[in-house]
Amino acid sequence: MAKQQQSKMSRALQRRENVAGYLFMLPSLIFFLGFVIIPMFICIITSLTNTNMHDPGMFGSFIGLKNFSDLAKDKVFLKGLTNTFVIVIVSVPTVCAFSLWVSSAIYKLKGPVLSAFRCIFYLPVVTGSVAVTVVWKWMYDNYTGILNSALKSTGILEKGINWLGNEKTALWCIILILFTTSVGQPIVLYVSALGNVDQTLVEAAQVDGATDLQVFWRIKWAQMMPTTLYILVITTINSFQCFALIQLLTAGGPNHATDTVMYYIYYTAFKLTEQAGHFGYANAMGVILAIFIGLLSALQFKLAKEK
Amino acid sequence: MKKFLALLLAMVMTLALVACGGNDQKDPAPSTPDPAPSTTPADDNKTPEPEPAPAEPTGASEITLWTYPIGDWGTEATVKTLTDAFTAETGIAVKVEYLAYADGDDKVNTAITAKSTPDLIMEGPERLVANWGANGKMVDLKDMFDDTDLAEINAVNEGVMKSCTHTNGAIYEYPLVMTAHCMAVNVNAFKEAGADKYLHLDTHTWTTQEFIDAVAALYAHYNDTVGAVFCAGQGGDQGTRALVNNMYGGTFTNAEHTAYTWDDPLNVKALEQLKSMDGIEFDASLAGGDEIAKFYQGALKMAFCWNIAQQLSPNGKGEETGAEKTVTGDDIAFMSFPSEDGNSKLQGGIWGFGIFDNGDQARIDAAKEFIKFFCDSAHTVDAVKAARYFAVRSTAEGTDLSAIWADEPIMAEYTKLMPFLGDYYQITTGWAGARTAWWNMLQAVGTGDDVAAAVAAGVAEANAAAAG
Repeated sequence: MAKQQQSKMSRALQRRENVAGYLFMLPSLIFFLGFVIIPMFICIITSLTNTNMHDPGMFGSFIGLKNFSDLAKDKVFLKGLTNTFVIVIVSVPTVCAFSLWVSSAIYKLKGPVLSAFRCIFYLPVVTGSVAVTVVWKWMYDNYTGILNSALKSTGILEKGINWLGNEKTALWCIILILFTTSVGQPIVLYVSALGNVDQTLVEAAQVDGATDLQVFWRIKWAQMMPTTLYILVITTINSFQCFALIQLLTAGGPNHATDTVMYYIYYTAFKLTEQAGHFGYANAMGVILAIFIGLLSALQFKLAKEK
Repeated sequence: MKKFLALLLAMVMTLALVACGGNDQKDPAPSTPDPAPSTTPADDNKTPEPEPAPAEPTGASEITLWTYPIGDWGTEATVKTLTDAFTAETGIAVKVEYLAYADGDDKVNTAITAKSTPDLIMEGPERLVANWGANGKMVDLKDMFDDTDLAEINAVNEGVMKSCTHTNGAIYEYPLVMTAHCMAVNVNAFKEAGADKYLHLDTHTWTTQEFIDAVAALYAHYNDTVGAVFCAGQGGDQGTRALVNNMYGGTFTNAEHTAYTWDDPLNVKALEQLKSMDGIEFDASLAGGDEIAKFYQGALKMAFCWNIAQQLSPNGKGEETGAEKTVTGDDIAFMSFPSEDGNSKLQGGIWGFGIFDNGDQARIDAAKEFIKFFCDSAHTVDAVKAARYFAVRSTAEGTDLSAIWADEPIMAEYTKLMPFLGDYYQITTGWAGARTAWWNMLQAVGTGDDVAAAVAAGVAEANAAAAG
């Protein structure tokens, strides 16, 4: 009898706690539903319609997979997709490798020096992307930029290079800026992860005669795998969603050399052309981008798990 | 206790969410304009007379105006003076938002989607007529024009009303000011390079051959780019279009404004000529505004994106180095675009007001009252002077507008270019898409694509936009 009463009380207590928990979650849940889940569904639904700015109604007419088949023939979209993959393929490994290298070099430094390095590498992350872009734009300037001035004054170049106006260099200039703004967080995370590596295992391996490379590869790297996975995923997503740099520096030019899927989504949805406001078409691109990001992230998770 | 706290927290946050949400209700009380100084120093001892109360509005008490940077119509201090005068006379408050050409179109498009467009917008026929008007977003202003109005406008230029009228007969723009777009040269740099002999500064004209020779002389002297065919975006593209079209007499559209014709072999010839010139660079890192800045800084020796507004204020602020001067104090001369016989056809700019159809007749009426106040009344002088362009009409309700710049020598000199005003083809169907195709085509030419092929592809894209 007493046991039954205790169980009843326990259930009541549990229910009360559950209700309290849900109520605490409610405000965030409203935001999450309103600004993430519902728009996501709207995006998927409208990608199957001809929703646009000019016709009335939120969902336009159902057109099946026409937007997707049109995208397969859209040269600008395909160019943007290629550029997006180039950015991801180049920036993700370089960001990971560089941040790991820097972290390995600085994590044993004394407190203030380590903090100084963390600050230096984290500064571009906390600085507004517009401010960073303005500075880079000035450096890349064809006529008065510091890069061309330096190269010309040292005799390396006779005539300046139009860094952002040349299709051979523009995308690489964007990748370089993206690199500088992306390494800050991975460095901070790796420094922290390296500091948390179990020193007893490291010492045991050293006693057993392991080389520095073996210690790093067999012990440290293995223990940092969750951090690496997180860095890979966030860097991949950030690279896929590269937009502000393109919008502020090149607007996709020259000759679509820096068009990315994110920029083309914005361009299709909002720029002043007869095609503007084709939300259905733009959302179809968004769905494709989300699928690619999801697939790549899943692949990274799987590989990391196997490792 | 815990439950109570949880409930309280949830309620507070939910209320905060609701409170932070949008509020479509308009403020019922019109904002009162700042009182103008009512006394002069000599009057200080007198008892100040009470300010006249703003007139009571008969309809809407507040309207919204979005304006692109058309002269000082993009400057808050100037616009506030103008709108305060309007509010004082009509009792209608005006809420103003200032748009930039870089992203103004995006904001308007977003507003159209969100059904939150302003009552009034100030821009030209390419947007008001060929885009938003053509898409049924604007109010037909035909009832605002009587025969006298039309006669006053036609007395200045017969093309103005045609430009403001859609092919369906609706008038979507009430014009206020106009100008001719031109180019500019750094006179000191030309003199240093010995190229000033190619400039006819008395008539502000030159021939294509003189232009080619001048660029060659400048390049020989500076060994660097002296002029940029900017193509980072559509901003200022009237300059590049006029340059290419005028060099050998090519056309951009047909006379009926139904199709794009810039695959004209004369345009291909001009593009090939420009591409072959060492001193000219097809620069995909610059848009019109950037080009003006580079010219003002002295990096470029000529600018293709220019008009009287830049001539009066080359740095865009109307101060520091002053009118007709670069940052280093070099003289700036405005020039017509080069053509084979020196008689070029300049691109015009016509700016005025349009009204978005928000379905509220009271607000539409109030917006029309605003237009009448600034475009056809004694106040038109102030509105035109704020824009720093030329009035599109000879008189406004008896006020003579023909001599409002007579005491301004630069403006008076600039009127020499006005007879060169060419066809206002920017109202051709599919204009917005055609502009995009144009600068994309310039980028393709700049990156080394075959000129004829790039031009053909661009025209095909533009005509596809025109066909809908």
